Amino acid sequence: MKSEPSFDHRPDPELGAALRTALEPHGDQSAFVARVMAQYQNALDRATIPALDVLAAWSRPGIAVAAAALIAGFLFGRNVLMPAQTSTPAYDAAMAPVEGPGLAALVSAQDPPDASVVFTTLVDQR
Amino acid sequence: MGNSESDNDLVAKALAGDRDAFGVLVERYAAQARRVARAVLGDPDDADDAAQDGFLSALVKLEQYDVRRPFGPWLMRIVANAATDRRRRRTVRRAEPLDTALVGGGPRPDAAAVRSELGDRLRSALAELPERRRTAVVLFDVEGYSHAEIAGILGIPEGTVRSEVFHARRRLRTLLADWKEQVR
Repeated sequence: MKSEPSFDHRPDPELGAALRTALEPHGDQSAFVARVMAQYQNALDRATIPALDVLAAWSRPGIAVAAAALIAGFLFGRNVLMPAQTSTPAYDAAMAPVEGPGLAALVSAQDPPDASVVFTTLVDQR
Repeated sequence: MGNSESDNDLVAKALAGDRDAFGVLVERYAAQARRVARAVLGDPDDADDAAQDGFLSALVKLEQYDVRRPFGPWLMRIVANAATDRRRRRTVRRAEPLDTALVGGGPRPDAAAVRSELGDRLRSALAELPERRRTAVVLFDVEGYSHAEIAGILGIPEGTVRSEVFHARRRLRTLLADWKEQVR
């Protein structure tokens, strides 16, 4: 046993060896390693379900974005493929001349229509 | 997988999901982690639980590990913290700082187990030391860490580490000298 130096910077091999023996773990090291690795595997297994939840949560906005893109693509494609059809059948029907003052007169008039004209138009449409 | 791979290579592989790489790290540091945890806790079973907690906690924090620094002190800090947390929980449960019955000292039926008796005495002596003091001396004299590294592990100034090691050694060396006198 060496004399006590104050704040010795070097480890004491004799004391170190005695302490190492005193603190030597019980049981086999490989069993401990296997136990830690089993816990590691359990942690990974437990992490699987939350990971799927996270992925599912991520997929919801993704589906919405994909649907919006599909609709936008459809509308754009239809306009590109059918540029000549600018008017719809409903618009043409509404603007077609009818007996009496008609819808055309109603939508193109500068002043508000007279109530009797509106009534007559509705009756004529029937 | 070869055990000659550096800690940093193994950490990188473990981060990439290589289970075996993490296994090699556990194997490499298991004995050290168990001894450090036992220095804090005394009881070997509690120490193994704490060392296990430390390894799993290190795995979770692995992305935070700075590869420019040595891996051992980083891991030992986590293990020592896990052991301290466990001791605090145990202290609350048992309302006593350290169960000295768990660290030995009872009569041995086999008189030939002289070396084991020294172990019992050292464990009892360690148990009487403040936690930081016994952890510091084990990290210094058993595990070979420098004062600076221990300061990082325990989160205390380097001068305090020197002082703790000095006081722990004084107590343990006296005990060791007495024991040697007895067995002569």
